[in-house]
Amino acid sequence: MLKFLTTLLISLSTGAIYSLISIAIVLVWRSTRVINFAQVGQATASTYIGFEITTRTDNFWLGLLGAIFFGAALGAAIDRYFMRPLFKNIKTGPILMIAPVVATLGLLGLIESIIGFIWGLENKIFDAPVSTVGFTIGDTVIAFSPFNLLILISVAIMMIFFAILFQKTNVGLALRASAYSPEIASLSGIRVNSIRTLGWALAGGAGALAGMLFVPSASLYPTSMSVLLVFGFVSAVIGGLDSLFGAVAGAMILGFAINFAATYISSSLVFPMTFVMLILVLLFRPNGVFSIRKNRVDK
Amino acid sequence: MKTIKSSVKFFIFILTGLILLITSNIVGELQVYQGSYVLTYGVAIASIVLLTGYSGQLSLGHSALMAVGAYAAAIATNTYGVTPGLAIVIAVLASIIFGYLLGSVVARLSGPYLAGTTLALAVSLPTLANQFSFMGGEQGLMFDVGTPPSRFGESFSLYKWFFWICAVAALVTLYFISNILSSRYGRMFKAMRDNQLAAQLAGINTSQLKIMAFSISSGMAGMAGGLMVMLISGVSPSAFPLSLSFLLLTGAVVTGVYSLKGVMLGGLVLVAMPEIADIIALNVGGSDRLTATLPGFLVSALLNLAVMFAPNGPGQLLNRSHLKKKLGKEINDQK
Repeated sequence: MLKFLTTLLISLSTGAIYSLISIAIVLVWRSTRVINFAQVGQATASTYIGFEITTRTDNFWLGLLGAIFFGAALGAAIDRYFMRPLFKNIKTGPILMIAPVVATLGLLGLIESIIGFIWGLENKIFDAPVSTVGFTIGDTVIAFSPFNLLILISVAIMMIFFAILFQKTNVGLALRASAYSPEIASLSGIRVNSIRTLGWALAGGAGALAGMLFVPSASLYPTSMSVLLVFGFVSAVIGGLDSLFGAVAGAMILGFAINFAATYISSSLVFPMTFVMLILVLLFRPNGVFSIRKNRVDK
Repeated sequence: MKTIKSSVKFFIFILTGLILLITSNIVGELQVYQGSYVLTYGVAIASIVLLTGYSGQLSLGHSALMAVGAYAAAIATNTYGVTPGLAIVIAVLASIIFGYLLGSVVARLSGPYLAGTTLALAVSLPTLANQFSFMGGEQGLMFDVGTPPSRFGESFSLYKWFFWICAVAALVTLYFISNILSSRYGRMFKAMRDNQLAAQLAGINTSQLKIMAFSISSGMAGMAGGLMVMLISGVSPSAFPLSLSFLLLTGAVVTGVYSLKGVMLGGLVLVAMPEIADIIALNVGGSDRLTATLPGFLVSALLNLAVMFAPNGPGQLLNRSHLKKKLGKEINDQK
């Protein structure tokens, strides 16, 4: 029973981190129809900035804030100075389909090697602001720690922020409008290009938060977040790639599936199971598990 | 006319083979070994050119497909004791079957969905190898190609033997592929890539054609995997990482993903890049950090520059003015 409860709580906190990456992927996909494979690279770079600030000032919260702002600025810069010229160069032809994927992959390699050059390839020790030793229930120490609780709270705050931003503000309306139909949005006076850059910035911020919450319980090196790319992408696809709610729900489904399989069957099943889940969703619910439409995504 | 042309092509391939074999006698041992890598990468890049450049499907899972070939070859020699030559044939067959199964599942996906799914495959397939004892777990399996035949003489080294095998395998594969691509199948691939709906209207069964492209490409990747397992004399789950897929994609994009002509050049770029990075790092007196990160940086930078300025291959840069004129004319015609 205790094992079950612990797995449940750990699943929640894993799912919370996946959901941040998956939100970042969905935000970029909605605004530019690009799957940003460099997202985890940006997140790792932001985490290194957060790490530097944290070690210099001895304050995790300052580091967290710095990381989020850096992540947002980096995301905006990549869209403005890399993706926009790229799409200007490539207007037609079959390359249009593969160019964004190849470009963001190249960007991922570029960011990872620059991080490696600046900070080195070795592991950095990044201490969590609160204890990572599990809570004690009765006599046993469970795997769920105060830090996991912090993860859950921070992600919940982020979700509320996004929900208010998208549903209650004019900027959110503009973001939704340009995702839904760029032409009509620009006709009604929305600066679609700037709104796209804003989408990239928000995604960069969410990725940075994911990094700052993921790394203290794992470790920090240039490619430490690569696994999150796979999990984030699969979560986003489970949720349908187009909705923020779907991204969170997909991440939670994946988090639960992975943790329960790892606890009750075998820990080496994590990746094969993720792959099988992805294939099943794409075969039977290509628009996400919550979609009611039956048509395939074949754009 | 057509027969003359294909016989000329055949002659050119034979000639290239002879030149390669003669060259292998002149250059040093290390160059011969690196040459085998160039040929192996060339075959792998050709498999990406076929899949991405011709049939329009982007795969990031070619490292996994190579791993399938490599494991098939290693298991065939270790467990069933077949000869190395036959093992490479088995590698190709196994990966064709795997590619067919994979293609039947994923070929209906497009663009980023396909890229993400094959990415997940590249990450998850190697971890499966740890599960089964006949795959050797974390240590992997050994692969021994044996000593070169004695009739080549005493001075014939093992590396030269590798090179000969790679050269023959690469030339046969490329000859086969270039014939497929200049046949009606090649034209069907291109039609499907450029406009799927129009291709369907012209009576092409696009879903079958996509699966076929996947199977052929996978078979070639398996061939490259079989050659690779020979060169590193073993296979383990970590021998075919996701970064290998990125590397191959870079090689393909940098030398033009729409043409088979550049694949060997792509292989050369991939082998030369770490060497160039070493020289640069040495000359600027760089730290260990620079030496460790520069190859990755150069490869990624090259990929980005290629996508940004020559997305259709380096040939595009040469006749850009010509292209502009042509495009401008087309636009004027439309007006």
